[in-house]
Amino acid sequence: MNIVRILFQYIVFPGFIFSGIVGLFLTWIDRKVTARVHWRVGPPWFQPYADFLKLLLKETIVPENSSKTLFLLAPLLGVISMSILAVMLFSMNFNPTGTFVGDIIVIIYLLALPPIGIILGGSASKNVLAGVGASREMTQYFAYELPFLIAVVTIILKAGGSIRFGDIILVQQASGPFLYSLSGVIAAVVILLCIQAKLSFVPFDIPEAEQEIMAGPYIEYSGVTLAMYKLARAMMLFLLPLFLISLLWGGFANWWAIPKFLLIIVLIVLIKNTNPRLRIDQVLKFFWIGIGILSIIGLILAYYGL
Amino acid sequence: MGNAKLWGLKKSPWVFHVAAASCNNCDIEILDILTPRWDVERFGIVLVGSPRHADALLVTGVLNRKSLPRVIDVYEQTPKPCLVIGVGTCTCHTHMFEPSYNVVGPYNKYIPVDVYIPGCPPKPEAIILGVVKALKRL
Amino acid sequence: MKKEYSKKTLEEITSKFPQVTVKIHGPRRTYLRTPREIVYDFAEFLFKEKGFRLSIATGIDTRDGMEIIYHFTHDAAGTYYNIKTLIPKDDLKIKSLTPFLPAANWIEREMHELLGVDFTGHPDLKPLLTAESWPADLHPLRRDYQNEHKNLKFKKKA
Repeated sequence: MNIVRILFQYIVFPGFIFSGIVGLFLTWIDRKVTARVHWRVGPPWFQPYADFLKLLLKETIVPENSSKTLFLLAPLLGVISMSILAVMLFSMNFNPTGTFVGDIIVIIYLLALPPIGIILGGSASKNVLAGVGASREMTQYFAYELPFLIAVVTIILKAGGSIRFGDIILVQQASGPFLYSLSGVIAAVVILLCIQAKLSFVPFDIPEAEQEIMAGPYIEYSGVTLAMYKLARAMMLFLLPLFLISLLWGGFANWWAIPKFLLIIVLIVLIKNTNPRLRIDQVLKFFWIGIGILSIIGLILAYYGL
Repeated sequence: MGNAKLWGLKKSPWVFHVAAASCNNCDIEILDILTPRWDVERFGIVLVGSPRHADALLVTGVLNRKSLPRVIDVYEQTPKPCLVIGVGTCTCHTHMFEPSYNVVGPYNKYIPVDVYIPGCPPKPEAIILGVVKALKRL
Repeated sequence: MKKEYSKKTLEEITSKFPQVTVKIHGPRRTYLRTPREIVYDFAEFLFKEKGFRLSIATGIDTRDGMEIIYHFTHDAAGTYYNIKTLIPKDDLKIKSLTPFLPAANWIEREMHELLGVDFTGHPDLKPLLTAESWPADLHPLRRDYQNEHKNLKFKKKA
């Protein structure tokens, strides 16, 4: 394997730079649609890039009593894991037979790393409010990971029980996307709400509730480190709907993927704009009781072939 | 300052609101400019929750003996380069509050202020004009 | 309903506490001038038995002494009942209402630090509003405060 080609894939396309640029563009779409829903004019198209550039060139302050290494390295976890995830998703969709057994488990672990980055960063800054934000992020992660895993197991069942991601895509290309069945719809709803919680969008943005704990786990970050956190969130906004399309809607190796992708983004933004914020105990109850039971129903329906 | 840094600061100034013993009139007007009527997000101005994320500090109110160490702390925690914008006539000069036992003088004895916006309270258009003038000064 | 309630209440008050002088200032405000010693019992009677609510308390430095007013209200009567007391300036003590009335806690702290009135029986009489660097025995809102500490400079500069 050519080392230049590998580096190109991980850093330029579709890795770090490509998903960074498209992710920041999607955050602009989010802000513009939100502004239009509020009857305002939103920011111009280059706004997220100006934000990112400004943050890169500002002074980075490290608090005195924090654990400095962890404080500076925690933001990189999210960015690195999302770059690897981008390469894996693109290679799976355009080359479904070249995947390895068990790579869906690797993807689940990669999706777990950005919240861990937030938790570590919030705990490493010596600040009570950041600690509260980190513990809320931990609780929210426990809440949504359970139905998310059950939904993924539902899809594995529907694909005939194999844990190769390429098999999931091949089965969908052969016999229609999984979304066009009852258990598929249930799994789609569950995974969409888990995406909303993973991105920390309203109604699940309790870890960084601005009115209560003043930016939560990000409170001591400034400059390059904050830019990396924002970039990790932007990349998640790009990659998680692609993950949903690959699992449930037939993969994105054709041009029909673009309208599907935009539909999911619009759904995320609309849910964001029409709901108030839930408290942390309401988040736990919502995900474990409501959505958990729904995902188990989906699992049972998938077992019986519906 | 380099050109790219200047462009970034001008196009997306993030604002943190410091209320040092104000009567809250100016605070209400600052909240007003984020509403749809004088939508200020089109200039890239976002109200952030922590002084470490901020590029501009909007200070309001007459400086009090009790809030003075806090305001100085917030200013020192903000990453430079940062603008300090004093909103309201109370920040320009202590005028009628001068003989009080609790007033410790105008702001520029303790932190460097870039732009003063007079008015009691200043209209939202005046605040936007003041912020734009401060950005042009960069 | 309001007028009858007010009249009935006033008759009850004057029959129970004869040292209290009633002055009806207007349709919604009644001044009840009480001597210093029975303020505690009188306020307890008003709060516990009649269901009055403490709205605010004020203190002012007058020529005849320190005048402290507790403003009680009653929603059914729709009037303010202000309990006025005069305290001589060389003996600034009064029994605190906080043990049965938690609403009076902070306002008595404020009156203590700004006027120097000592509320006996208050659980925690530390300064509330003035700065931490302000000396605790200077009471700025008295008439003979000459603003001599105006230029007490703060040491830290940016």
